[in-house]
Amino acid sequence: MVNRKVGIVGAGAVGASAAYALTLMGVCKEIVLFDVAPGVAHGKAIDIAQAGYYAPQDTIVTHVDIASDMKNCDIVVITAGVPRKPGMTRADLLMINAKIMKDVVGNIVENSPNAIIICVSNPLDVMTYAIHKITGWDRNRIIGMAGALDGSRMAYQISKLTGISKRQTGSLVIGDHGENMIPLPDKILVGDVPLNELISKEDMEGIIERTRFGGAEIVKHLGTSGYYGPGRAIAHMVEAILNDTHTIISSSVLLDGEYGFSNVTVGVPAVLGRNGIERIIELKLDEEIKTKFKVSVDSIQSGIDILNENNFFKGE
Amino acid sequence: MASKVTVIGTGNFGSTVAFILAMRGSCHEVVLRGRNIDIAKGKALDMSQAANAAREHTIVRAAETAKDMAGSEIVVITAGAPRSPGMNRDDLLVKNAEIVKGYALEIKEYAPNAIVVVVSNPLDVMTYVVHKYTGFPRERILGMAGILDSARMAHFIYEKLGYGAGQIRATVMGGHGDTMVPLPKFTTVAGVPIADLLDSEEIGEVVQKTRDGGAQIVNLLGSGSAYYAPAKSTAVMVDAILKDTKQIHSCAVLLKGEYGYSDIVSGVPVMIGAAGGEKVIEMSLNDLQKTRFKNSVASVKEMVDALCATRFFEDCEE
Repeated sequence: MVNRKVGIVGAGAVGASAAYALTLMGVCKEIVLFDVAPGVAHGKAIDIAQAGYYAPQDTIVTHVDIASDMKNCDIVVITAGVPRKPGMTRADLLMINAKIMKDVVGNIVENSPNAIIICVSNPLDVMTYAIHKITGWDRNRIIGMAGALDGSRMAYQISKLTGISKRQTGSLVIGDHGENMIPLPDKILVGDVPLNELISKEDMEGIIERTRFGGAEIVKHLGTSGYYGPGRAIAHMVEAILNDTHTIISSSVLLDGEYGFSNVTVGVPAVLGRNGIERIIELKLDEEIKTKFKVSVDSIQSGIDILNENNFFKGE
Repeated sequence: MASKVTVIGTGNFGSTVAFILAMRGSCHEVVLRGRNIDIAKGKALDMSQAANAAREHTIVRAAETAKDMAGSEIVVITAGAPRSPGMNRDDLLVKNAEIVKGYALEIKEYAPNAIVVVVSNPLDVMTYVVHKYTGFPRERILGMAGILDSARMAHFIYEKLGYGAGQIRATVMGGHGDTMVPLPKFTTVAGVPIADLLDSEEIGEVVQKTRDGGAQIVNLLGSGSAYYAPAKSTAVMVDAILKDTKQIHSCAVLLKGEYGYSDIVSGVPVMIGAAGGEKVIEMSLNDLQKTRFKNSVASVKEMVDALCATRFFEDCEE
């Protein structure tokens, strides 16, 4: 990690926000942006580099016009992909974005062969799975960004309800990064105090619901998905890896027997460090949560099945 | 008016608190009050210069007299005789009670609107002494204990786990002494309950090490006691007040019926903000925890009674 170089593929709102957050935090030595739209990566790289004047550490922010010019990154963040448009089926979206992953990942394998990949493209867990299969890399090197964001959204809901500092609010969200996600507010502490000592069971349910629909709430007002929260959450993961902090961050990881599942990606608490996923934490889940976890895994598996049915992994 | 914090006591503890505040630019002015004014002046100059190196705005200066505390938003009392090896916290009792009483009276006169953060030992009793001799509402008197004990517990958990440093939230209630009440049940690493990560034997070791945490350092140092972690824990409280963060920390406060006790100080979770200890939070404890908390309160009460026996307080019952 001597270079502390981070590539960001896709300089849309999410990719650019991640670059902006990283620059203001002074985490990397170098950030390289790439986008298929001409000029976008170039313009944003200059703007972000100039904002970096006020950051605690220098960050070189540059761009490349050709994807294969992004070389020797320690981490590559993939935010590329299209959003679901009216009339598009889930399967249509899956196939389109999976094909984009194939292109993007091909370049990474060739030009940043030792990188750790953070996948942010949606549907998140299925795209993370696709990247595992395409690269064939050790599972510790491919991580889906999900719990870092969903956790911050849960902490926001808790703080809004209780009036107590967000900074002290723990957060734990597992499962898929979609409608079957499993926020676990009843396990967490606010400061020194278990949340269930502070709020009613009803309010707890409300927090779970609002966390699950945290993304949709923003879309409702903004007409598009949020990107500040995702950008900062990505930066949190990058920081953990570059600084080798061994921080627990819920992330979408390829399971190999943990929680009773294998060959599927899903969000669980993971320890992140310079090797990417240093360790997967196995929570002791009660029966109710186990059932929810299975529903969540099944929903991801059905997406993986669509890729398999379309022979996505069987070459051209 | 510039934000101002006075730190009473220019030993390792007080100096380190002032230094952390200066390095963070937590407030505009830090006043060091100690018996030896030249030492206070020397340290203040050194720290003001360090603040410039850190490009921070904080100015540290020494108090010539108690009047220089005037206008302080927060006064931290670190003064007291140090705990030597083999010395029990209780041995310090009468000696430190007299010292703290003197400063409490000064604060009452010169900084009557300040929030007082007490760190002198034995902590819970000294916090009680400040109550008695300032007469301030309880919101404005907080003893620093739980944050330090929690930090120690978190460290010992990290020693076992090898990851999650900085993410461990450990809860410790009760007195800041041998009767502290660590609550592993309310302890998590990034939201993951500690019971999912360590077995009960390992948790037991963590709890014991936490209880012995202060003594372990005293024994190793040979002379004096820990001050880096205590000073940082104190600075966390000062920052929480100055920035009105509404964070919850275990602090020693005067109980008014909470947990079934009144007119006694013990460590409980408190929401800290600009007004000081803005809210005391009552957690449901199981029977074992209740018993431990009771023992902890009883040991504080014993020391208050010991002070009463010397007619330290005016309103002691005969």
